Amino acid sequence: MDTKRLITCLMEDIRKKTASELNLMEVCGTHTRAFFQSGIREMLPPSIRLLSGPGCPVCVTDEACIDAAIALLKEKDIHLATFGDMLRVRGTHESLSDQFGKRGNVSIAYSPLDCLALSKKLSGRQLVFLAVGFETTAPSIALAVKLAKENGIGNLSFLMALKRMPPVLHHILAAKRNRLHGIICPGHVAAVMGARYFSFIAQEYAIPAVICGFEAMDMACGIYMLTRQCNGQERSSLRNLYKTCVGDEGNATANKLLQEVFEVDEASWRGIGRIKDSAYVLSSRYKDFDALNRFCIRLSNPLPKSGCSCGDVIIGNILPYECRMFEVVCRPQNPLGPCMVSSEGSCAIYFNNGRVPMK
Amino acid sequence: MCLAVPGRITAMDKAWATVDIMGVESIVSILLIDKPELGDCILVHAGCAIQKINEAYLAYLQEVFSELLDEKV
Ligand code: SF4
Repeated sequence: MDTKRLITCLMEDIRKKTASELNLMEVCGTHTRAFFQSGIREMLPPSIRLLSGPGCPVCVTDEACIDAAIALLKEKDIHLATFGDMLRVRGTHESLSDQFGKRGNVSIAYSPLDCLALSKKLSGRQLVFLAVGFETTAPSIALAVKLAKENGIGNLSFLMALKRMPPVLHHILAAKRNRLHGIICPGHVAAVMGARYFSFIAQEYAIPAVICGFEAMDMACGIYMLTRQCNGQERSSLRNLYKTCVGDEGNATANKLLQEVFEVDEASWRGIGRIKDSAYVLSSRYKDFDALNRFCIRLSNPLPKSGCSCGDVIIGNILPYECRMFEVVCRPQNPLGPCMVSSEGSCAIYFNNGRVPMK
Repeated sequence: MCLAVPGRITAMDKAWATVDIMGVESIVSILLIDKPELGDCILVHAGCAIQKINEAYLAYLQEVFSELLDEKV
């Protein structure tokens, strides 16, 4: 039986056996995009609602962090490097791309490790890497920090905005308004941290979770597994369907490095607020490489922007087109909120895929 | 930016490897994977190899990821 036929069979089975409404959250923006692209979204029965989660680092980086990066550029005459997606995210008043146009001292980095070479080229001028991402990106940032220290690179530091996935999932699942019945976990976070990293979802909240890859069959199986458990055909548990990339324990070397270079601290999430233990910050051994310390910059306390509902989108309270700004004033060319900026942001994905409302 | 992409190690120089990622050569750190060898299939994210994967899975993933990346706007 070919893949398409198999997926159709799975969908038929799901349709037959799912009587109640189910809200399933795909945590990762890459899954959101792949659900659209594979056509699975349209094949699902109307009772199954796929909700986007908080797994796009661009969308959750708060205004204070962008403000700090802009303050560094304006006040300290540094050179700033970051991932390309971050340039158009607005802080309280402006984005890094506004500065990029004015000053030319912003670089796009493909990898934080690129900063090791770039710092040499800047001949003594200070370079700051705006470090965003989740556990998938954290090891390469940790490695860049460690190599900077080992090689005595004095003109490189890091503006830390790295986030951890479990605390924000706890935040969503423990909320009174939570109406999720199952979670599709980000496969690449699990590739680094191990499948067990997500076992708390079934253990503590008694809802099923799957770790799956990005291929149509993987994702269809993921939804199938979730619905079987939601329908009571199986006990709620964590199922790892991405076994080729994800072991129970993850990447031991990367985990050891994360423990050495980082500590866990509270973080501010855009549109959500502060969440305990949800940030990776530099450990005391590497504090010298913290850009905020090095340049004595304090994080601001930005007022939430009125009109943008990203905070509700990324915790599954609303779908992007339920935001009154969607399409009307907020579009990828002129994004009002961060979910419309990155190609992995929920709002941009819905906009680019003709919104396809859930039935 | 969270996507880890599959590739194959084509050359190695201490902590770094040249990796063929769907026809594009990249220099990638191999410090975080266990006993990297020439020809190994790996998942690469932000300039680092983060996991080894098996041969059969490489082709399968490459197909999926090239579709996803083509779609990227
Ligand atoms: S459509 Fe725009 S304004 Fe509305 S939630 Fe999405 S990014 Fe924010």
